[in-house]
Amino acid sequence: MSERADTSPVTKIVVVEDLTKDLRPGFGLRRKRVLDRISFSVERGEIFGFVGPNGAGKTTTLKVLMGLIRATSGRAQILGHDVRETAYRRHVGFLPENPYFHDFLTGREFLAFYAKLSGLRRSNRAARIEALLDLVGLREAADARLRTYSKGMLQRIGLAQSLVHDPEVVFLDEPMSGLDPLGRKEIRDLILRLRTEGKTVFMNSHILSDVEMLCDRVAIIAEGRIRYEGGVDAFLPHGESGTDVVATGLAPEAAAKLHDRLGERMRVQGERVELRVPHKQVGELLAELLAMGAEVTSVMPHRASLESIFLSTVQERRRWAR
Amino acid sequence: MGALIRIYTLAGNTLREVIRNRILYVLLCFAIVLIATGVVLSALSYVEQERILQDVGLGSIRLFGTVIAIFLGVGVLHKEVDRRTIYTILSKPISRSEFVLGKYLGLTATIWLQLLIMSAAFALISWLAHAPLGTGHAAALLLSGLEMSLMVAVATLFSAFTTPMLASFFTAGIWVVGHLTRDLRQLASHSDVSAVRELAVWIHRLLPDLESFNVSIQAVHGLPIEGSEVTLPIAYGIGYASLVLILAIVLFERRDFR
Amino acid sequence: MGEQAAVGTRWVQLVAALSFAALTVVSFSKLPMPIRGARGDLFIPRPEVARIASLGFEALVADYYWLQAVQIVGGAQNPTRYAPLIGGLIDVVTTLNPWVGHPYRFAAVWLIDSPESVRQANRLLERAIEHHPEDWRHYFYLGFNQFFYLEDNEAAAAVLERAIELRGAPLYLKRLVARLKVQADGLETGATFLRELIATTRSRKARAKYERALDEIETERRARWLDQAREDYRERFGRDIETIGDLVRGPDPVREALPPEPHGWEWILKGKKRRLVSSYYGHRYEPQFHRTERKRRKHWRAELLEREGSGR
Ligand SMILES: Nc1ncnc2c1ncn2[C@@H]1O[C@H](COP(=O)(O)OP(=O)(O)OP(=O)(O)O)[C@@H](O)[C@H]1O
Ligand SMILES: [Mg+2]
Repeated sequence: MSERADTSPVTKIVVVEDLTKDLRPGFGLRRKRVLDRISFSVERGEIFGFVGPNGAGKTTTLKVLMGLIRATSGRAQILGHDVRETAYRRHVGFLPENPYFHDFLTGREFLAFYAKLSGLRRSNRAARIEALLDLVGLREAADARLRTYSKGMLQRIGLAQSLVHDPEVVFLDEPMSGLDPLGRKEIRDLILRLRTEGKTVFMNSHILSDVEMLCDRVAIIAEGRIRYEGGVDAFLPHGESGTDVVATGLAPEAAAKLHDRLGERMRVQGERVELRVPHKQVGELLAELLAMGAEVTSVMPHRASLESIFLSTVQERRRWAR
Repeated sequence: MGALIRIYTLAGNTLREVIRNRILYVLLCFAIVLIATGVVLSALSYVEQERILQDVGLGSIRLFGTVIAIFLGVGVLHKEVDRRTIYTILSKPISRSEFVLGKYLGLTATIWLQLLIMSAAFALISWLAHAPLGTGHAAALLLSGLEMSLMVAVATLFSAFTTPMLASFFTAGIWVVGHLTRDLRQLASHSDVSAVRELAVWIHRLLPDLESFNVSIQAVHGLPIEGSEVTLPIAYGIGYASLVLILAIVLFERRDFR
Repeated sequence: MGEQAAVGTRWVQLVAALSFAALTVVSFSKLPMPIRGARGDLFIPRPEVARIASLGFEALVADYYWLQAVQIVGGAQNPTRYAPLIGGLIDVVTTLNPWVGHPYRFAAVWLIDSPESVRQANRLLERAIEHHPEDWRHYFYLGFNQFFYLEDNEAAAAVLERAIELRGAPLYLKRLVARLKVQADGLETGATFLRELIATTRSRKARAKYERALDEIETERRARWLDQAREDYRERFGRDIETIGDLVRGPDPVREALPPEPHGWEWILKGKKRRLVSSYYGHRYEPQFHRTERKRRKHWRAELLEREGSGR
């Protein structure tokens, strides 16, 4: 904890220290501690995953960071500025969860509105907006009112909004919730692209596969407390990690041959075989299976480790509940 | 400079929102129909028809303007918070005071735009009926616009901390009492109880004195309206509305959007 | 089957719509619409309360009550019957918006059923004068009420005198004032007033009229002298004179000589009432009533007496 105190604004994009938030769920009801002395930090250039089960306090943390609600105590800084200031937000982008925007605007007007609010010069504005429309693939729908947008389109225009002023750091609250697989992939690609542009991304999620696939580092929050902060790889024990491949239509002798090599890591269920190999060997295995005339039905990264941490926090929560 | 641009942007967006809202056109049409009702009503009287025509016209404009002002004003902040559109706006480099000011100015611009349209209808009907039109009418319309702008500020204040339902209730209450405070003070001045007199005086001082914005009778009767009867209410209205807005900003700045 | 059901429903809807439309139209056309107020169902607020409660829409509310008053007069056989109602309404109208003009005169025309009504009309007219000091008509109505209904010539003269110099005031107003003054203060006051007018007026035509009026006053002075002689005669002999000559005839006449008629014409006893008048003018110098007005006043007095009698 003490190392975090020496923050140089150059590397630490977000610093949260002992942040506590009490909320009163309703008039006259008892105060509830939603965030309990949480601390974490986000480094420049990384994709940071803020992970936790429903109701853990992810959105609340993000609202504190965006100055939408005030912390009861503790400190929160972005780019070296207290989150209650406003001027530094010139370098910050935000996409809330389940976003709802002014639906009387067209996509283009919407982006122009946020560009003006962010202080973008008129000369850059039009070009920037066109570029963003291309980036999120909404050029066709740019002159339709947001009222007519689908959820996925809203999510994408929302993402464009968070990027309109070319911020250094982007905060995304569950950017992939409610999207179809294609939409999720598009958003994922966008996020990865942001990293290559040198931006820092802070992302709330409870979808572990997304986190595992995208994030450099994660913090796990449950019941308003930080349970884990660190690299994604660090908590994936070696040997256990790998990719699950499912195939059918494998000739019995080929199956036997594979079984000899993989042993425990292969299970046969009638026609179906399930295989688990390290990430690096996936390509090789797939080529082999195809050569054997098998039909590959599923390729999925195995993430038992993240799940196990997740589950353990849930179990802890149950223990507290007693 | 940046702040001005942001406020202007927000105001423009608010104006656009209202202009793209269909309900408003219905209200506006209704108001114009009501202004035109003066023609029918004045026909019921066999004398002083132009006077009745203009009474009805100015009355409708003030009534509808106020209704629209309250109707729009109470939703101004609440809607943005309720629909969470405010989240992304405030995540940009914009302060909450700029936000409130932008929303307020946008709505006020809408109100004046509507007033302009209704005034044009009024002028047209007066002209067709050969009723006199003069600076008095302009002064009356100007001051009623100021009253409406003040009501938008009051509605914004209530909108900053309560639901639209309650906010409309409170704002309408302020409007009613604001038209009574002068009489209240007058009536209470005959009271034997000094506390009652004091109370009435303070109510008159603290709540907006909306009767000061009412010169429609003078306008219709072509009575002289002194410069101070226009300039002083304008100064008073601007001052009062600004104070109310500052209070709204202070309250709004303390809010958690959860 | 489903198709048929749908058609059936449409028929039901159509029939229902038509029958309810018929019901609405017929009942609407038969809705009872009595004159409001005739049954005492018109609520007239206290004027001050109405003013405060109208929240800045005084003019509009005033118009509403004004239209009510117009409807009552327009719909009633004998509007004076509703005088108290009209008075109440006009009081509200003119409290809410004292700058109206016509409603005041409307009240003056219809509030004539009783002295109370006339007095209320006069109060309203005074409000009118306060807000329209330049309009001679309100003085005229007020003076007329004072003189005609309340028979207070002095008050009438005082009010009318304020109006004579106003724009649009008719010339006869001045002579009317002179006559009223003669009735109220005596001939000398009237004559003085006229001499003043003659001295100040520029119009030759007007001056001629005033001079004629002054001449009438001189005639009236002599006629009154003769009236007095006639009265003395009646006292002494217990009967009225047969001719004017009776005043100087006989062993012990009531007067030595008769004043000549100023124009060289003669004095006569006119009509059934045998009023003493100059044959040059044919009438005495006093406010003149048109025949219909005289009838109205008679009628009004009879009704008044009856009402006061039944009141007791
Ligand atoms: N307005 C509010 N008033 C009172 N309590 C609230 C309010 N909003 C949220 N909470 C509580 O705060 C806690 C954290 O909520 P938060 O929305 O931050 O969770 P989250 O981690 O974002 O969950 P999810 O994954 O479902 O979005 C929850 O227990 C919730 O009940
Ligand atoms: Mg959330």
